Amino acid sequence: MTSVASIDSPERPDLSTIGTIAGKEIRDAIHSRWFWLWTFAFAGLASFTAAVALPGSQVAGFGNFGRTAASLVALAQIIVPLMGLTLGAYSIAGQKENGALRFLLSHPISRTEAFWGTYLGLAASLAATVFGGFGIAGIITVAQGGGVNADSFIRIAILSWLLAVSMLGLGMLISTFADRASAALGIAIFTWLGFAFIGDLGVIGTSVATSLPTWSLLLTAVLNPVEAFRLASLTAFSGSLDVLGPAGRYAVDTFGDNLGWMLFLVMGAWVVVPTILAWWRFNRIGDL
Amino acid sequence: MHRLSAVLILAMAFALVPNASTAQVASIDLQTIIDDAAPGSIIDLAPGTYTGGATINKSLTITGHGWPVIDGGGSGTVIEVSAPDVTIENVVIRASGASLDREDSGISVLAPRVTIRNNRFEDVLFGIFLRTAPDSLISNNIVGAKDVFIANRGDGIRLWESPGSIVEGNNIEGGRDTVFWFTDRVVVRNNEISDGRYGLHFMYSDGATIEGNILSSNSVGAFMMYSRDVTIANNVMAENSGPSGYGLGLKDMDNFTLSGNRFVSNRVGLYLDNSPSSAGSEGWILENLFAYNQIGASFLPAVKHNSFSGNTFIDNVEQVGITSSGRFSGNAWSVDGRGNYWSDFAGYDADGDGIGDVSYRVDDLYNTLTDKYPDLAFFNETPASMAIDLAAQMFPVLRPEPIIEDSHPLVTRPELAPVHSLNGGSGFGLLIASLLMLAGGAAVALLPSRRRHSSKGRTLA
Repeated sequence: MTSVASIDSPERPDLSTIGTIAGKEIRDAIHSRWFWLWTFAFAGLASFTAAVALPGSQVAGFGNFGRTAASLVALAQIIVPLMGLTLGAYSIAGQKENGALRFLLSHPISRTEAFWGTYLGLAASLAATVFGGFGIAGIITVAQGGGVNADSFIRIAILSWLLAVSMLGLGMLISTFADRASAALGIAIFTWLGFAFIGDLGVIGTSVATSLPTWSLLLTAVLNPVEAFRLASLTAFSGSLDVLGPAGRYAVDTFGDNLGWMLFLVMGAWVVVPTILAWWRFNRIGDL
Repeated sequence: MHRLSAVLILAMAFALVPNASTAQVASIDLQTIIDDAAPGSIIDLAPGTYTGGATINKSLTITGHGWPVIDGGGSGTVIEVSAPDVTIENVVIRASGASLDREDSGISVLAPRVTIRNNRFEDVLFGIFLRTAPDSLISNNIVGAKDVFIANRGDGIRLWESPGSIVEGNNIEGGRDTVFWFTDRVVVRNNEISDGRYGLHFMYSDGATIEGNILSSNSVGAFMMYSRDVTIANNVMAENSGPSGYGLGLKDMDNFTLSGNRFVSNRVGLYLDNSPSSAGSEGWILENLFAYNQIGASFLPAVKHNSFSGNTFIDNVEQVGITSSGRFSGNAWSVDGRGNYWSDFAGYDADGDGIGDVSYRVDDLYNTLTDKYPDLAFFNETPASMAIDLAAQMFPVLRPEPIIEDSHPLVTRPELAPVHSLNGGSGFGLLIASLLMLAGGAAVALLPSRRRHSSKGRTLA
């Protein structure tokens, strides 16, 4: 019944087809080296961070998970965008290159279904990687006798996944523009450098040279999803942005309790907009 | 002493009072009881509610049993003491007025040698206010506050020109400040002060001893100004945060010794402004712990003549910082060949004498930038900030002049006895959360393989 509908009106996406493609994507991920490389890299580094940071953070009866959490956030800032961008960039361009996409679309499957199936499958794989990594890090923290607010730990994990998914959408957008997987990966890595390092360094340099007003630093949080992730995570585990000096206090004074969900909205926009653009673009590429 | 006879007289005088308290619901007027008592007598308050707004104008002792309540009815000061040698103990003082102008208090004292101990203060503006009450003792009281905006609260304990007093073992929560003005040789010991503005605030009070207090979650743990010959030992200053957020701040102080204190998780552990201030005076900072603060110790650049030895600096985002720019020099970072322990010391100790063979320097490029441009603290702990420090380490041409240099850094952490634990979350919740996340991750990975056979056929149909 459903497959008939999808043949009759290929414009209307069929959910079970999307689900099937997503399932295939997850299976492919599990069989790919990329997935395991990222899973081991993230889980390994997160566990290492928890294992190294925690014993150092117990002194004379004082514990401090804040530092462990800050290290985890810094780690996620580097690894997670790279993970999402490369997976996304490889997806469409890679399948285009090896003909898998053409084979897939020779079936009664619309491009919309193929796109969303691929996207959801990869998003789910990223969830497995991110939550697995945080889960292992959390267990190691507990095993070492560390305590932490479970609520904020989960929130940071979810924010990390949102960051991964937003980068996945951006990676897929890049992928729709590239003819070859290697080109897509190259652009993705440059994008990652921009978000994780060069953007901030540029703002730091500009600020030193021209003394930017305090509020303008906050713009980086809107323009850079990695910054939005960092601010949202800091808000989640310390409840304030005192850590960030005058600019952080400016943000808290200006937006107060709204800051948390505003950053969440910014991240949501970074999840939705590039993905929609990628979908729109994917439906209009001439030759696959 | 005439105490015995006083008790006898009182026993007769009170024969009526306890009966009255059980017989009638309306509260008893404390002033009447005081007026009826002979000087030097002991008034034993039975459980019940007593009307406050009373003045104690002769030396006597008020001691409660079963927590009698003295109720100010929400106006004025609950008990005013105008005679020396008064003792108030084991009572609940409740509901003063709320006027900061009139300084409405739980107990207000205008005479020397009073003792205020083991009382509970609830819903009071100022808790205990000594004005010109030298040689008094305030011990083991629990002082609450009015639930109003912090600037509209009064001080939990305030001493004004009451030298030689002892403030000991009190628990003060949610007030504005605990303040000492013109109060020399005061001893402040083993108090717990939290959720206020200034945990301790000293002005023009020389020769103070501040020992074993726990000052946590205030805007500022302790701030001391214009005083000299002060000993600050074995206190805990933790989680004092906010725009000021000092664990301990010293301004224009002379001849002070800080030892065995724990500065933990504050915005700034220790802040020094023009201290020591006068020629020939010195500051000694010995065997303290600075851990997990945003800035371990922060200085105005002109601060000189402080000696640091045997301190432990652990994982402060910035171990030592200078507010604004300027040359910082003239402080000793080791004394008699013994420096401090620094968690980020990357040197070595080849001869095994416990002292690093190379100097410890604070010369992070990023933190030097944030000292100069405070806005840049916005990028604390980003990969970009780490990249800046890494670059400075690899290319010495980028490395700034060191802020400080400890030429005898300790390679092992000095032993520190645990004093107090401020651990927040529980391991159990985290364990459950972690297991759930792992299970979720595994479920995502395993879900499609379960569906493989049923779905594959249809896709390729």
